[in-house]
Amino acid sequence: MSGLMQSLRALARLKPAQKLTRDYLVSLLTAVLLALAVGAGIMLVCGHNPIEGYGALIEGALGKPRAIGNTLAKTVTLCLTGLAMSLAAKAGVFNVGGEGQLYLGAMAAAVVGAQVDAPAWLVTLLALLAAMAAGGLYALLPGALKVKWKVDEVITTIMLNSVAIYFCSYLANGPLKTAERGIATGTDSIMAEAAFTPLIKLSNLTTGVFYAAAVALIVWYVMSRSSVGFEMKLTGENDRFARYGGIRTGSLMLWAMVFSGAICGLVGMLEVFGLHKRFLTTVSNEFYFDGMLVAMIMRYSPFGVIVMSFFFAVLSIGSKSMELSAGVSSELILIVQSIIIFFMAAEGGIRKALGERAALRRARAAAGERGRG
Amino acid sequence: MNDAATGAEIVRFSHVSKQYPGTLANDDVSLSIRRGEVFALVGENGAGKSTLMNLLYGLQAPTLGDIYIKGEKTGPQHGPESAMRMGVSMVHQHFKLVPSFTVAQNVMLGHEPRRGLFYDGREAEETVRRLSAEYGLKVEPGDVVRDLSVGIQQRVEILKALRTGADVLILDEPTAVLTPQEAEELFEVIRRVVQEKNMTVILITHRLPEVMRVSDRVGVMRRGRLEKVMETRETSEREIASLMVGRDVLFSDLPGGQAAGEERLVIRGLCALSDRGLPALRGMDLTVHAGEVVGVCGVEGNGQTELAECVAGMRPVTGGSVVLCGRDVTGQAPGRIREAGLSYIPEDRISTGVDVKASVAENLIVGKQRTPAFSRLGVHLRRGQVKKYAQELSQAFDIRTSGVDEPAGSLSGGNMQKVVLAREFSFGSPALLVCQPTRGVDIGATEFIHERIVEKRDQGCAVLLISADLDELMRLSDRLVTVFEGRVTGRFRTAEVTREEIGYYMTGGHQDTKEAEAQ
Amino acid sequence: MGDVLNILLLQNTLRTATPVVLAALGCLMTQHVNITNIGIEGMMLTGAFFAVLGSYFAGSWVAGIACALLVGLLLGLFYYVFVIKFKSDEFIIGVALNIFAGGLTVFLLRNIFDVKGSFSDPAIVPLPTVEIPLIKDIPVIGPLLSGNTLLVYVSWLLVPVCWAFIYKTPMGFHLRASGEYPDALTAAGRSPERMKCLASVLCGLLSALAGAHLSLGYLTMFSENMSASRGYVAFACVIFGRGNPPKVFLAALLFGFIEALGLRMQKYMPSDLTAMAPYVVTVVMMVAVVLMERRKRRHAA
Repeated sequence: MSGLMQSLRALARLKPAQKLTRDYLVSLLTAVLLALAVGAGIMLVCGHNPIEGYGALIEGALGKPRAIGNTLAKTVTLCLTGLAMSLAAKAGVFNVGGEGQLYLGAMAAAVVGAQVDAPAWLVTLLALLAAMAAGGLYALLPGALKVKWKVDEVITTIMLNSVAIYFCSYLANGPLKTAERGIATGTDSIMAEAAFTPLIKLSNLTTGVFYAAAVALIVWYVMSRSSVGFEMKLTGENDRFARYGGIRTGSLMLWAMVFSGAICGLVGMLEVFGLHKRFLTTVSNEFYFDGMLVAMIMRYSPFGVIVMSFFFAVLSIGSKSMELSAGVSSELILIVQSIIIFFMAAEGGIRKALGERAALRRARAAAGERGRG
Repeated sequence: MNDAATGAEIVRFSHVSKQYPGTLANDDVSLSIRRGEVFALVGENGAGKSTLMNLLYGLQAPTLGDIYIKGEKTGPQHGPESAMRMGVSMVHQHFKLVPSFTVAQNVMLGHEPRRGLFYDGREAEETVRRLSAEYGLKVEPGDVVRDLSVGIQQRVEILKALRTGADVLILDEPTAVLTPQEAEELFEVIRRVVQEKNMTVILITHRLPEVMRVSDRVGVMRRGRLEKVMETRETSEREIASLMVGRDVLFSDLPGGQAAGEERLVIRGLCALSDRGLPALRGMDLTVHAGEVVGVCGVEGNGQTELAECVAGMRPVTGGSVVLCGRDVTGQAPGRIREAGLSYIPEDRISTGVDVKASVAENLIVGKQRTPAFSRLGVHLRRGQVKKYAQELSQAFDIRTSGVDEPAGSLSGGNMQKVVLAREFSFGSPALLVCQPTRGVDIGATEFIHERIVEKRDQGCAVLLISADLDELMRLSDRLVTVFEGRVTGRFRTAEVTREEIGYYMTGGHQDTKEAEAQ
Repeated sequence: MGDVLNILLLQNTLRTATPVVLAALGCLMTQHVNITNIGIEGMMLTGAFFAVLGSYFAGSWVAGIACALLVGLLLGLFYYVFVIKFKSDEFIIGVALNIFAGGLTVFLLRNIFDVKGSFSDPAIVPLPTVEIPLIKDIPVIGPLLSGNTLLVYVSWLLVPVCWAFIYKTPMGFHLRASGEYPDALTAAGRSPERMKCLASVLCGLLSALAGAHLSLGYLTMFSENMSASRGYVAFACVIFGRGNPPKVFLAALLFGFIEALGLRMQKYMPSDLTAMAPYVVTVVMMVAVVLMERRKRRHAA
């Protein structure tokens, strides 16, 4: 069965791709336009006007201050989850378990927010720390299994997602269920003064965005400018080489995983303190997976993740009003997004196939000329 | 034996060119190979000899020109399948064997005998047994290939090639991994198939002594062009070598070492397991003094790789000790051992020696990324300093790049090795562990690397050299040790030993007296 | 506890294990050619949807299965083109495929059936159940072995068929060789790419069949994300069973048992906790596989 063992190794080999190049960005633009065109085609088939549909999408995402606020809030979520993925992936570990870490972070934050009796600023701070600790510790488990025993982290983190989500659901339905009426599955609400305040009226954009920005900045700095970021990059690209170079790859990977989990926990806390004011089982709707895809498309480049998050947020927020005002199902956007991903994942292969054909033609032509000369 | 067919043309290349993106691997090659001869194709790495044979075997298609096998032109659909049908078989340098399959399953791969829908194992083993007897290549059909030695794996590979009833057998660097004795057996097989079966053998190699021994004719390739084809008995090693490199110099002699100084690297009773979990080192003893080069020779897979990795801290030690400059570093992390004074040039550049995705500059500073020179407070990477330093270093070591920001993976083998060398030498360590320093490196860079190693020795560095190239070992080492199955079997002063003697100890002979170690 | 540990439990075990068995058989095909296919989840979900679609519109379960298989074939080819032809990262394509499947099925659900969440209708024809004469009258074993839906028997049949295919036929040899050492196959004049294509297509077909069982056999409806991570569970079974169909089958049965037990324990425990069990077990299994491997190596040494 060494074939199987090899494929396990293939999983472990999933390494960060190369840098973002200009060529890559051109392909990205092409893929985006192509995917939007496919989306337009589907709208036509379903009897909608694509211009109306996309118009409603943009209007819904950027038309009103409130819409812009919601789009920016979504950008923050995508961006943080994307950075969480990038941070771990840079060091060669794939944290697919952000969703579970997010849930636990949200739960921890909700518990602290509701139970701790302290000044509001302290409650916020404690909730923040609790959320990050919960997410980080939950990521520690698959991280440690990976580093210590080489247990594949992709599968374990996916499985731990479900475990965490069910566990939180159990808490919200059982021991921590609120006595308030009208809340189906949720915990007690948090201290009102400790919650983040909206920056734009009625929108989801709150003062939590400043925490998010600080974290994003730190992650960007660590990944692209710091010595430890350099060590992480080497570990992710070739851990054997990194070890040979004197880098303690095991603990580096573990820390990358823990911080990745902590960021996910923070996202959960932002949702609770910014939006729901309590833990609800609907606190996330696969937010982490969206962020993960953004990170993959942008090849784990922190700056790229920030930009792409905004685009995906526009699609995501706009899709809801597209559904309301133009009647196009919002799931269309999921299809558009996955088409972009398919093409960007295949970008290298498609480019190579085209390039090889061109090179062969050139070589034939050149050799033919010389043959005659 | 010398029947009418002998000497008739069997393979012809007519103005064949192969263009890869960026390089012209074969440039207008015309060559005719006769039935019943051993034709040696020699050239440096990257001269295009393997490419030419891949074209013949159909693994790639020529960009221009035609190939004829027994007068029949190969079509655009030419592939290994049609090559085999036309009677051409190839034994690759890297064996194309499936490790978890048995010998019989590997030999019959792609042409399995069937009973109904199913694979007929008995029939397959019978066929292999018959082939094995016919050509005198002893194998056990039911053995799993993973468990076989390299020499036997090669036999399986040759049987696979012969199964199709080939008339033309291409051997790509066949002796690179063999013991002298195994190589001798291989030559025996070559002679037998040529004389008894009137086959044609094309031998790709860069080992000139074996060219002189077994071939009838020799073709020399350089930079994609076929320089010259000669009758082997009418030429000399020196002539072939000068055609290969394109200038009339071979290796100049290197100065010998001074008297050795204090003990720098002391290895006692070292034990370790191989990747497969089997004992690879069974109590190895070695001492390297300041100012000497100690060469480790042995057939590949006798513990050399594990020895190097244990000393460098890349592999867990299960017994014994490694003392470096008076400090016990047994089982410590590679970073600690580096601090204790060891620089290490690993045998596998691509997987260990460099990070092919990182830039040349980044590769050059690894191990120093937290030092004040490149890091402010150990936090902020000083990228300007990194670049400046890398430019200086790549100039000093003649690393040819279009820029230090280029990924290391885009460099040639020789230049990549210079990156490793430049980085490791820049630590100024008192001890140096060098593995296969010139594997896949062209002659020009080989000389440069050899000179640098000797220079290090003259500066008082203790050098442990592990190589599969006996010429390299004899040329650089002051002392030699032979290893077999994870133990040292003999210790010699290089000046006082012959190749034959080394060959004997490399293959399991034992030396009781340790006069060389005692000095 | 008598009402938990009874024959119904075993029956439920078989029922819940079947989709995992089918998906795992598909997954092990791609495993053997050295492709780590995370996308089975999406293939399964799409298969489930199109099975309902076919059954509903043609009024026949055969059409449902045919529809699912056709889509499985297309997905397998699609996967092959992107992962092998274009050499994309198999992991990214797999994840994207899952998201695509989630979006596509919900989109179609809304645009074709005009419902949100789930679709069930008397017009959906479920898979027939098969009563085996004689055996069905045997006490205990009878109700266990007889009276299951068609695909349950198909999955039992496919286990030895897949095993024989992989380990006993020349094509199975080529399949494994293309995963373990493709160069050997190329040198033998066979195309590893073709074997990888075959494996992808087989994987697509089997995963779609798993989906069809889910929506026409296990239940008679389609609901959003009804595959519920079973694709990943199947993947874990393949790892645990080391790609060997009978062992993979046993691993899947174990999952089925745990899931069925969880369902029946709901009287005594909150359902959220029992639902966690299969996922916890998967993690434990993954660790166990690695530890067993290490142990074996230590013994060999």
